[in-house]
Amino acid sequence: MPPASPKLSDPAPRVELQGVSKRFYFYEHRTSSLREWFIRRVLRRPIHVRRAAFSLRGVNLRVEPGEAVALLGHNGSGKSTVLRLVAGIYQPTAGTIRTSGRITAVIELGAGFHPELTGAENIRLYGAVLGLTRRELAEHYEDIVEFAGMGDSLDTPLKYYSSGMEARLAFSVAVCLQPAILLLDEVLAVGDAEFRARCLARLCEFREQGGTLLLVSHELEQVRALCTRGIWLRDGRVIMDADIDTVLAAYRAAGVPEPA
Amino acid sequence: MVSATVPRAAAGFPRLRQVWRYRELLRGLVVRNLKVKYQRSLLGFVWTLVNPLLTVSILVVVFSHVVRIQVPHYWAFLLSGYFVWNFMLQTLTTGTWIFSEHSRLTRSVAFPSEILVFSAAGSRLIEFLSEISLILLALILLHHHGVPPSYALVPVLIALQVVLAVGLALPIATLSVFYYDMYHALPIALTSLFYLSPVFYPASMVPESLRTLYFLNPIAGLLTLYHEVLYAGRWPAPTLLLGTCAATALVWVLGYAIFHRYAASFAEIV
Repeated sequence: MPPASPKLSDPAPRVELQGVSKRFYFYEHRTSSLREWFIRRVLRRPIHVRRAAFSLRGVNLRVEPGEAVALLGHNGSGKSTVLRLVAGIYQPTAGTIRTSGRITAVIELGAGFHPELTGAENIRLYGAVLGLTRRELAEHYEDIVEFAGMGDSLDTPLKYYSSGMEARLAFSVAVCLQPAILLLDEVLAVGDAEFRARCLARLCEFREQGGTLLLVSHELEQVRALCTRGIWLRDGRVIMDADIDTVLAAYRAAGVPEPA
Repeated sequence: MVSATVPRAAAGFPRLRQVWRYRELLRGLVVRNLKVKYQRSLLGFVWTLVNPLLTVSILVVVFSHVVRIQVPHYWAFLLSGYFVWNFMLQTLTTGTWIFSEHSRLTRSVAFPSEILVFSAAGSRLIEFLSEISLILLALILLHHHGVPPSYALVPVLIALQVVLAVGLALPIATLSVFYYDMYHALPIALTSLFYLSPVFYPASMVPESLRTLYFLNPIAGLLTLYHEVLYAGRWPAPTLLLGTCAATALVWVLGYAIFHRYAASFAEIV
């Protein structure tokens, strides 16, 4: 098993967060029309009534190649914010984020899919969304099709797919692209038991070949099978960062109910 | 250590380099837009022509028989500018809503989001290229009875038109992420612009004293260029050409700067 805590001497971490904070505004009142903006200006009332809240506060994190890190915590504890920051979807309010290598983030399965396009066309478009050139995608295309295991239905428009098949297709693209860093946000529970087992096997293989995995999941048994390290977040702060068994034990002891 | 490969690019050229890396996405989106628009429609592209041609016919009847605009071969005059106006109108309209239409994408994938606006202009451009080929053919056969040398400028005009459309669409689309007023304001603005641009009358009819003010609208310059090159078949005045180029470049730089200033926060808002 790789070391649970990062070696500080390692010259090239895959992901490094230093003192990262992210502030969001929760709007009690958000002016979204110019008329109202004007009225509020004239009456000298505030344009927005908002409350700043930190989704993350001073998070330090170093993830090495070959590590699979599970982010644990209640809803709203900042797990998804970490993934979005690493992916570059959000910009940090403070601190620095450094990553090396290509990142594939699956925050919402099938974002970028279009119902009128066929499965095959959607694979190509989704690959392009994730930043691949045509040649790079061609290298992985066969693998994706085989992994998704849907054969003939790839020429059918996506709108005739079941939601399970759609999720399966999206997941296959993300897993087969062999990025350096793979970010998964509660998207592990996809497809039937057979497909899930294959996903898990594929992700383990990815990690063993030096890929870096960061994931958010509430399926604790899957997390235990897949991850080497756990990070427990509460109210935007890291309260525990250790090997997965230690963190899971503490997390369970804290009385976190598990999904059935 | 390589810094992030995700879009955290600065304004200007680094930003455009990012876009270049995502060219496959641009191509994919353009193809998707066209495919979705034309599949399951038997007449396909014909429909795209029917609407503007109908408008053109009505305008020809009204302005050569009712309100008589003193322009010989009025149909040829109208054809040489109307489709350009139509391109601007549709690119601005679709471009404005493109971020909220793709909110799922913007929220969950890091990519240079101006690609969405480019793709709106790109798919419209493909349609425009087919339209303009037919128009050029009609003007060559029925109006000029030959190919005027000024037609060599057509690619330059098309490039200007695309840059201008994107330069205008980027800040409008940015504003519409924050203020839904654009939904109401844009149709009004575009209707006003239709009358304030030389679409169905030549800019030469505008009184001399107002002309400087009139040409502050960069679309007026572009349409006048089209009228000179396509309809009159002569080389445009260098001041007009260079002035429109400069105005277009200014619109692009300002528009892109406004977009760039706010683009990083789209994912938190759309």
